[in-house]
Amino acid sequence: MSKRVAIVSVAQNSGAESKDNFYDQAYRVAKEALDKAGLTREELGTVVTASSDIFHGGISCANSYYWETTGAFLKNASRQDGESLFAFFYGVMRILSGQYDTALVMALCKGSENPPNDTCTLMFADPFYQRPVGLTETMAAALQMQLYMEKYGITREQCAKVVVKNLSNALRNPYAHRKGLYTVDDVLSSARSIDPLTEMEMAPKSEGMVAMVLATEKKAKKLTRKPVWFKGYGSSLDTFYLGDRDLLDGQLKNAAARAYKMAGITAPGQEIDLAELTEPYAFQELMWCEDLGFCGRGEGGQWLDSGATAMNGKLPVNASGGVLANNPYVSRGLQRLVEATLQIRGEAGERQVKKKVKTALAHGTHGFAGQCHAVAIIGI
Amino acid sequence: MGKAVGIIGVGQTHHGRRTEMSYPDLVREAVVRVFADTGLTPADIDGVVSGTMPSMMEGIALTHFYFADAMQAVGKPILKTETCGSTGVSIAHTAYYWVASGMADVVLAVGHEKMNEGNAQATMTTVVEPFYQRYFIAGAPGVFSMQSQMWADRYGIPEEKIRDAAAYISVTHHDSAFDNPYAHVKLRVTADDVKNARLITYPVRLLDVCPTSDGACAVIFASEEVVKKLGKKAAWVKGVGYRGEEYYFGDSDKGVWQSAVQAAKQAYKQAGIKNPRKELDVAEVYNPFTFQEMLFYECFGFCGFGESPDLVLKGTFARKGELPCDPSGGVLCTNPIGATGLIRVAEAALQVMGKAGEHQVSGARLALSHAMGGVDQFNGVMIVGSEL
Repeated sequence: MSKRVAIVSVAQNSGAESKDNFYDQAYRVAKEALDKAGLTREELGTVVTASSDIFHGGISCANSYYWETTGAFLKNASRQDGESLFAFFYGVMRILSGQYDTALVMALCKGSENPPNDTCTLMFADPFYQRPVGLTETMAAALQMQLYMEKYGITREQCAKVVVKNLSNALRNPYAHRKGLYTVDDVLSSARSIDPLTEMEMAPKSEGMVAMVLATEKKAKKLTRKPVWFKGYGSSLDTFYLGDRDLLDGQLKNAAARAYKMAGITAPGQEIDLAELTEPYAFQELMWCEDLGFCGRGEGGQWLDSGATAMNGKLPVNASGGVLANNPYVSRGLQRLVEATLQIRGEAGERQVKKKVKTALAHGTHGFAGQCHAVAIIGI
Repeated sequence: MGKAVGIIGVGQTHHGRRTEMSYPDLVREAVVRVFADTGLTPADIDGVVSGTMPSMMEGIALTHFYFADAMQAVGKPILKTETCGSTGVSIAHTAYYWVASGMADVVLAVGHEKMNEGNAQATMTTVVEPFYQRYFIAGAPGVFSMQSQMWADRYGIPEEKIRDAAAYISVTHHDSAFDNPYAHVKLRVTADDVKNARLITYPVRLLDVCPTSDGACAVIFASEEVVKKLGKKAAWVKGVGYRGEEYYFGDSDKGVWQSAVQAAKQAYKQAGIKNPRKELDVAEVYNPFTFQEMLFYECFGFCGFGESPDLVLKGTFARKGELPCDPSGGVLCTNPIGATGLIRVAEAALQVMGKAGEHQVSGARLALSHAMGGVDQFNGVMIVGSEL
């Protein structure tokens, strides 16, 4: 890439249930991102949002409803469905096309107005074969977890430790929905979900309006003293039927390889300083670390045990508390990127890691057992 | 405008009531045809853009999961673009920006809808929020009828004249559909048939309204380097424009419809078009309702406000007229919503590539395609030309 794109400002709201309505929540976050960038709505070039009708409180064509609250009135704006890192990438594309010098990228989800997560994810299943047997993201994850433990000798305790780590990290994150000091026993003795998952190993259902302003290199230098640069992006989609897939050999490796290639990264475990991953089920954080090349295949458990992924470890993973702490389904990918941006800028407050973060990775996934993955790399 | 981007091939299903095949197979039919048209294989694709209407209409959520295999998208980078009725043109825009940004060389865009398995009007009622508007905005015709009345009243156009012009549009489009092998409704109708058809929402009658279609469309966008390497004819993207306006129907002026006016303006500016009626050779205007098609002519600057019915009756926008509009038969004869906007882009591309067959407008070099969506709220335009 000859031209560069920067993140110049970020904003988000708390994941906890709020009495504010959708419009007010969305407007405040969009306005905060623009204000921090010192941009008026009139000066803003384009808007790309992410939302999903199934997670949109009973209203179809989500972006019709919230169009004006995201500053898009009479602007060339568009929308991505399902994964908010898609919207980030589309925003980057629009700027690199040379047609816009600024873009507001925003993800919108008000979890408190949605049905339970799995009532929605059941609708990902086809209506003929998979839906009648009740296949949901949780059921797919349970099958994946069982396979993962069996094949690589990962223990339930190691999976539970991800929850302990992330929910304690979340104590330092004012935006986190679920947080606390728990023990492995607390996690394993919480209510049983689909075996072998327990309730605490599953992400909650959160509010999440998340926004960022992107700009060309020239414009970014006028808008901020701390631009964070877009370095790489990759996504990949897996085949649909669960039985056709190897649940331990998914598409994250492909998505990551594309992002690493674009960013010129050859040794991710060394070159990436911090990662924010989408781990709606605790064990997935361990698996994703392997797929991303942070550790070897089957070594996710040991790597966690070594403390490498802790807040002040070698490669902190989910210093924000991750998706286990905050799960606004569609917005969670972009929220990871916002957290990574804050860490690079040194603006993560109490959850700022000690090491200097120069290059960070944000990951998003949606679909059964990670049918689709997206990876973004940013840096100074 | 970023890097030059060309459309190198299109694939359409035979649109209609496709009860003999499943939804994934319908998608596959279009995708197989775009590969046959271009001679490319799935291995040549750098990225896939997918899109459709909301989950309630699909009966399945996040359709890119279900159609991953049918779209030949397994292992590929994916984007999922949705903007209600304008989804089709927004998919085309996304594919365009992907290539124009330099981050991909060959992008496959796929739009699809199997409307006969869903309930479109019920779904569209849920586009409006449950507190104020849902009680009186039932489905699409209500909104567009109100808009037609507002427009007619604003410009004092006699009811008879509008009725005649709308009937003329219906008759000519239904005739054109016979020349399009992929069109859904193939019906010879007379102006009297249209005027006496069953009333849907005054003044809109059955033959003023688009059908409920099953269909999919696939289009491949490529960079200049790839187009040259393949030595293929391309429809070059000359301009893209998109605008959206207020969600609450009563908040905006639908008579001088700013989202339509400004979307076209943005695309014209990029394409260097000053006099669209003269410079464009053909237009594929999104026309689910005959009355609305006339308003689009005015918003796109094909004529002045309030002037379109007279020009329609003079044949200005007919197949042999000054600016042929919807020679494919348009949305009025084929409307698988998630694909419809992309079909407009595909038809415009076929015209400037000289590949439109029986409904080819001879010598077409510059074409406009368009789609509309939301609560009468979004408009998107893509202009394609035969020259780089």
